[in-house]
Amino acid sequence: MKVPKEVMKDMYLRMLRIREFESKAQTLFADGRIPGFVHLYLGEEAVATGVCACLSDEDYITSTHRGHGHIVAKGGDLKFMMAELYGKATGYCKGKGGSMHIADRDKGILGANGIVGAGHNIAVGAGLSAQYRETDQVCICFFGDASTNQGTFHESINLASVWKLPIVFVCENNNYGISMSQSRHQAIKDVADRGAAYGIPGIAVDGNDVLAVYEAASEAVARARKGQGPTLVECKTYRWRGHFEGDPGNYKPKEEQAAWLKKDPIPRFEAFLKENGILSEKELTACVDQVKNEIKEAIQFAEESPDPDVASVVQDIYSDIVEEARVR
Amino acid sequence: MSSIGIIANPASGKDIRRLVSYATTIDNQEKVNIVKRIILAAQSLGVDSVWIMPDTFQMGFTAISDLSCDEKLHIDCRVMDIPLTATSEDTTRAAAEMEKMGVGCVIVLGGDGTSRAVAKGLTDTPLLPLSTGTNNVYPTMVEGTVAGMAAAGIALMPNAKECCTKDKRIEIYKNGSLLDIALIDAVITDDLWVGAKAIWDAEKLKHIFVTRCHPASIGFSSAAGCIQIVEDNDPYGLALTLGENGEEIIAPIAAGFLASLNYLKAEFLPLGTPMELVMEWDCMVALDGERELRGKKGDRLAFAITQGGPWRVQIKRTLEKAVEIGLFKRI
Repeated sequence: MKVPKEVMKDMYLRMLRIREFESKAQTLFADGRIPGFVHLYLGEEAVATGVCACLSDEDYITSTHRGHGHIVAKGGDLKFMMAELYGKATGYCKGKGGSMHIADRDKGILGANGIVGAGHNIAVGAGLSAQYRETDQVCICFFGDASTNQGTFHESINLASVWKLPIVFVCENNNYGISMSQSRHQAIKDVADRGAAYGIPGIAVDGNDVLAVYEAASEAVARARKGQGPTLVECKTYRWRGHFEGDPGNYKPKEEQAAWLKKDPIPRFEAFLKENGILSEKELTACVDQVKNEIKEAIQFAEESPDPDVASVVQDIYSDIVEEARVR
Repeated sequence: MSSIGIIANPASGKDIRRLVSYATTIDNQEKVNIVKRIILAAQSLGVDSVWIMPDTFQMGFTAISDLSCDEKLHIDCRVMDIPLTATSEDTTRAAAEMEKMGVGCVIVLGGDGTSRAVAKGLTDTPLLPLSTGTNNVYPTMVEGTVAGMAAAGIALMPNAKECCTKDKRIEIYKNGSLLDIALIDAVITDDLWVGAKAIWDAEKLKHIFVTRCHPASIGFSSAAGCIQIVEDNDPYGLALTLGENGEEIIAPIAAGFLASLNYLKAEFLPLGTPMELVMEWDCMVALDGERELRGKKGDRLAFAITQGGPWRVQIKRTLEKAVEIGLFKRI
């Protein structure tokens, strides 16, 4: 597979953006600048990047509670994202959704999701829509290892298989469902094995190698576009932080954490880019500086944005509760 | 005291070739079943103990626990207490430890890549490769019970090597240093990264080196096999140079996929006579179907076929010998 230099550089930038966005979210949350809840994607950058690098704005993704990485990789606006984390009126959800509800229809981002396993069903809807409208759009469904124990995973993958929908089910196997290790929540090690039960290909790749993810996702996306149906791609990776910020992650063995920190996907890709003369030291540094600046501007935008007006609490909702209250 | 070792690779049979071809899928639960059948067959023939490599799926523990619950396990069967890294190093280390412990035979569940990792850990112990991988030239498809019987036969009979073949291997040298080995094929591609490991794009191939080749094999060795058959006991291998203006052939390079290749020349490589190439471009060397080694422009890469491969158990010959020496008789 030939991967042009621009694509390599773009993947590097996307990984850096996720890392910087999440690192800053971590400290801003600890400082009390960001309210609510954040679930960080640190350590898993190669998965979202390798997959989303195969997509266009027209393609869809469904995300999870740990959605920042997917949204950044799919081209979500960093300023609107950060403002949403801050709960500001300029955020993607006007500050009313926070970290777990960011969506951007123009970018094909069908939403992060606070409910574990809820993205699977939405992906089936998106896939069915693309098939019905006879477009060549593809929907990527991101989810974690533990969500494959939910009924939604099995129902969705079954329907997607029966209808040959253009969906790639991407399992980010980060070894934990909240605080429960994979060996305690399911009796299999490779989620990819579950593809066979639904008559679709299931493959496992190194989720900390962006090029391995890109290769696998490219083939799976190509299958989907050709009408050959869904694929299950399991990316083996690791969640560096606790389930949410504030969870110290004491249940993770220290040796396990240390071993995975050594497999950091970003220095690994940097070394590859340098060794093969794809990006020079100067170009790599320029990328880092560019991303730092982008995130700095996003934080500044969020800090300077206004809080939502109290009246907006009853706006953008499905029923007119104010009117209903008046009638009662 | 007779013993056998079992190495089952939990990662085999799940790579990208399920997307780019129609490669077999074998889930780990089936591998556990195969391990159980091996243990039961070896136990019935009189093996005293079985050692199993630890793995992330815990296949050994599961097999032992299930057989114990069913009250069918009556011999000493244990999972080795060695570190687990979830890489192919586990396989190589387990094989070396098994040899140190003096097991009579090592059964391997996996594809060509797994057998290669085991071969790196063995020097003298017979190896019985059982196919649960993707490109299975080296291991054979055989029922677990039969494999267990054959392994037991090897562990119990005197002169077990009579029922084994001393295999060839390819030794790969970079700038004069031995870097790695392959059991079936070493392929130079113009890939730059390991990525999804498997190779499936015939257009990227530049050179193919094989220890043996036949059109009935699946994988890149078949490209050589469709030009010239080389048996496992021939005192040579084959080197194929590919290029746009060469003669065109088709060969089954992946499951369900006969690809077109153009070759410029096919040369016999006698045992111990290396072929050296000075690389004119950055490259990747795939060993037994998986991208493994980086080569840079200017590197001297040498490929030598030697008789340094493992002792591979001939299953049918072993069972025939077992009949001959009365291993199945019960007095």
